[in-house]
Amino acid sequence: MSLCLDIALRRGAFELSVQGTLPERGVTILFGESGAGKSSLLRAVAGLEPCQGRIEFDGERWQGRAGTLLAHRRPVGLMLQKPALFPHLDVIGNLRYAARRAPVSAERWEEVLELLSLAPLLSRRVQGLSGGEASRVALGRALLSAPRLLLLDEPLAALDQARRQTLMAVIGQVAKTIPVLYVSHHLDEVLTLGEHLWWLRDGALAAQGEVNDVLAGPGSPLAEHRDAAVVLRTRHLRYEPEHHLLVLALGASEMRVPASGPGGDTPRLRVAARDVSLTLSPASDSSVLNILPAIVDDVRTLPEGQCLVRLRCEQQWLLARLSSYSRDRLRLAPGSRVHAQIKAAALV
Amino acid sequence: MLAAGDALALWVSVKLALITTVILLLLCTPLAWWLARRFRPGQALLESLLALPLVLPPTVLGFYLLLFLGPDGPGGWLGPLLNRPGLAFSFAGLVIGSVVYSLPFVLQPLKNAFAAIDNDVLDMAAAAGASPLDRFFSVVLPLARPGYLSAAVLGFAHTLGEFGVVLMIGGSIAGETRVASVALYEHVEAGDYASAQRLALVLVVMSLALLWAVFRWQKKARGPL
Repeated sequence: MSLCLDIALRRGAFELSVQGTLPERGVTILFGESGAGKSSLLRAVAGLEPCQGRIEFDGERWQGRAGTLLAHRRPVGLMLQKPALFPHLDVIGNLRYAARRAPVSAERWEEVLELLSLAPLLSRRVQGLSGGEASRVALGRALLSAPRLLLLDEPLAALDQARRQTLMAVIGQVAKTIPVLYVSHHLDEVLTLGEHLWWLRDGALAAQGEVNDVLAGPGSPLAEHRDAAVVLRTRHLRYEPEHHLLVLALGASEMRVPASGPGGDTPRLRVAARDVSLTLSPASDSSVLNILPAIVDDVRTLPEGQCLVRLRCEQQWLLARLSSYSRDRLRLAPGSRVHAQIKAAALV
Repeated sequence: MLAAGDALALWVSVKLALITTVILLLLCTPLAWWLARRFRPGQALLESLLALPLVLPPTVLGFYLLLFLGPDGPGGWLGPLLNRPGLAFSFAGLVIGSVVYSLPFVLQPLKNAFAAIDNDVLDMAAAAGASPLDRFFSVVLPLARPGYLSAAVLGFAHTLGEFGVVLMIGGSIAGETRVASVALYEHVEAGDYASAQRLALVLVVMSLALLWAVFRWQKKARGPL
């Protein structure tokens, strides 16, 4: 386990008390309403906010009874919502600032410039950069400090959708080798990037674990969200170019999703609760591509005649949002055997 | 064109202003940093005390310094360090007086410059692996450069123009404590208006040249955005 936390900090009336363990790699989303203490927690991990308790990383003691490892000695890369570039340096100066103080090889330098398309910006003044450019430089600077842990505090909040996608892809790439703790209150970022989820509420972790377990598992606070969705982990089987369809394995079942190319080995599928409908027998005459056997685990009543059905499907959670009328007509109850028709699934 | 005595007085003035400015920049850097970054208990009282020279008549300040630096004053022990009975009526005494008198003019611009530095930028520097000292030299100092320039010019000019304090604790010993402003006063007292004219003109030209150089430099340093 990479990062082990057992910390408490107090600012006026606000109290934060967190016990958690970060997986060795992958993106862990630190999710919560504003004021839940997300940024304070991140700053405490970086060593920028004094706190009590214990922080360990890869067996190294960052904080404990023996004292605190100062911020500049912690191998973290940090990026905030505001790029906070050094205003007295140009772009290359900002990047070198980090690279000079870390063990960064010439190859890694080139790699980061390539990854974020920074080469054309190098001689620019930071005051003249657009929001997207400044964010790329800030992420580049964080990566060039040779981090063993990447801490991101709503890094994409100020960007438009297209630029978010680009940077999210880069962050996903980085997360293949080091753990990333990513503060967000966007469900979209959770579904696209998150493999693990820390749900922070009122200064404490209300839930932590695999993203789907937190999103859809028992007692999930997110399941009732208007855009509630799950992320299914699948295996790549084949690509059918004549239909522009990707065939994926979900347990023993097959799924087909529209795709322009073969894609990666372990595609993640995002399925929104409102795109799932249920039938009692498998419809053989439906235009819906994906119909999977599932067992009802729980039925929750929502306002305005709606209800949310949690299903177990090939050992993964699936959510379906139905009208209460349909629930009564199909007599859905925990244990019911149904077939889930997935009307749309998007690769993430 | 200047009499030898006046040239010497001018040199004493410039030397005094230079030494005082250097000492104040070194002294006020940690002090201004400490005051600028966070409000601390007792800070208001300390800041009032340090700003006192702004409002006190220079003669009041000079009088207290005279008592303090005299052989029997609490600062009398400083004299023997420099082989003197006391530091009153010495160049070293003038330096001490000028440091106290010009301190707020150096402290304030530095404090403002430090307070204007974005905390997030300093945090990013820490996360990038810069130690506190490294952060000071690589981020704080370059960002506070205009503040340092203002502080240096104000400190220098204010010390150059000092009169009341010097008169009280320095007197007028040629080559030691006789500064340009005192020399000018003595010319007027003696009715030598021609010498007074020349000395006054030199002071005006010097001050103007200094300010002009600074304004030009500041404009250039800011550059087109």
